[in-house]
Amino acid sequence: MSDPIIQIGDLKKSFGELDVLTGIDLEIEKGEVVCVIGPSGSGKSTLLRCINLLEEPSGGTIRVAGTQVFGDGKPQNLDQLRREVGMVFQQFNLFPHLSATENVSLAQVKVLGRSKAEADRKSRELLGRVGLDEKADEYPDRLSGGQQQRVAIARALAMDPEVMLFDEVTSALDPELVQGVLDVMRELADSGMTMISVTHEMGFAREVSDRTIFMDGGVIVEQGPPAEVLDAPRHERTRKFLGLVLAS
Amino acid sequence: MDAFFQTYFDFTIIEDNFGYVLEGFWWTIRLSILGGILSLLWGLVLAVLRQLPGRAFAPVRWLTVAYIDGLRGIPLLLVIFLIYGGLGALASEGVIPEAIGIPRWFGLPSPFWYGTIAITLTYGAYMAEVYRAGIEAVPSGQTEAARSLGMSHGQSMRFIIVPQAVRKVIPPLLNDFIALMKDTSLVSVIGLVETVQAGRDVYSETFNASALTLGAVLFLLVTIPLARFVDWMINRQNLKVQRGVP
Repeated sequence: MSDPIIQIGDLKKSFGELDVLTGIDLEIEKGEVVCVIGPSGSGKSTLLRCINLLEEPSGGTIRVAGTQVFGDGKPQNLDQLRREVGMVFQQFNLFPHLSATENVSLAQVKVLGRSKAEADRKSRELLGRVGLDEKADEYPDRLSGGQQQRVAIARALAMDPEVMLFDEVTSALDPELVQGVLDVMRELADSGMTMISVTHEMGFAREVSDRTIFMDGGVIVEQGPPAEVLDAPRHERTRKFLGLVLAS
Repeated sequence: MDAFFQTYFDFTIIEDNFGYVLEGFWWTIRLSILGGILSLLWGLVLAVLRQLPGRAFAPVRWLTVAYIDGLRGIPLLLVIFLIYGGLGALASEGVIPEAIGIPRWFGLPSPFWYGTIAITLTYGAYMAEVYRAGIEAVPSGQTEAARSLGMSHGQSMRFIIVPQAVRKVIPPLLNDFIALMKDTSLVSVIGLVETVQAGRDVYSETFNASALTLGAVLFLLVTIPLARFVDWMINRQNLKVQRGVP
């Protein structure tokens, strides 16, 4: 077995007095699909944002693809990290002044140094892959939430990341638009992409993830195959959370 | 009533001095356009300097804030005198070359250039604040998305944040431009015969204010359409916001 693609050791994060992550140890294998669930305020989004250093951790270590990107209290090799890790946000965060294709192409040209033609070719291919060939020239304000989110996925994929992070990517969508985004994510998981997804979609976690992690109070309470964590949780806190979520 | 009309609307005086006032207005226009463009650029530079990240740039940010506060806190009239007196004195003492101390670039007289410099210094500070408001109005998710794609701070400012910020602040920048245009009349104090000075020259010769009225009309011909245009743009932006467009 090769080295894990992500290794997190004793990761801590505080916002002032508030301890959000109190010591996370986590290893993710290449090609693994991990879903993180838990109540709001459990630190699951913060964990995700720490992995690509949108939040600077307060302590601990993070290694991505064998390279230490955080340790000794400061970020290291930030450029490499951001190249290897793609992120999709709850609020899409498409660039409103750029068309769908331009959204996907910009960082390819400016960060990876691809030619405009090469980047645009790749962008159209990816927009096709997420089912938006016909929307390639539209601006974000002409796209539905689900379409915007699929453009955002294409934008992250365009950088050829080793790992994709999904931060509650369906939470801001109207119910009828959720499925299209989940389908794209499922297809991505099948293609062997390493994925970490913070989600409230229990069905998605059950069907697609190799491992489900339940977080609460800034720690990983339990983790394992989704069938175990979701259907036969060992911890009282997990049972309570699932009881509340599945009842609704 | 007739005397009132005579004082402000003596068409003979307006006709006789039309060319003279128009010549002054041509200085007003040139000062406004050049000063406006330079202020827009200088303001943007200041706003970007103010946003530089990290501890290393703290002195730059501090100096920028001090500059902006300072220049916004003193009258433009004073800045004009400071530039005019200062540069001229430094040149005559030989501290700076005469080409800079007593500028006559492109064959235009030095009061024009002193005025342009003073206007740029002051209005750059005003416009920096407008840009800052625009930059801060861009949601933080935009920066996060740019950074998650591997863009540097500079790249995300240049390609993502500033283009959106500038669109948001075009109306307030135009408002500042209207104020700037009116303030160009202050440059008359160092000897530039712009619109207001031209009107005053005619007034002191004829003891009649009609040339000043002409000056006012010339200003309004530019400022009123601009003000209407700003309103139109704000309305259009509000409509977009109502439609939920970012």
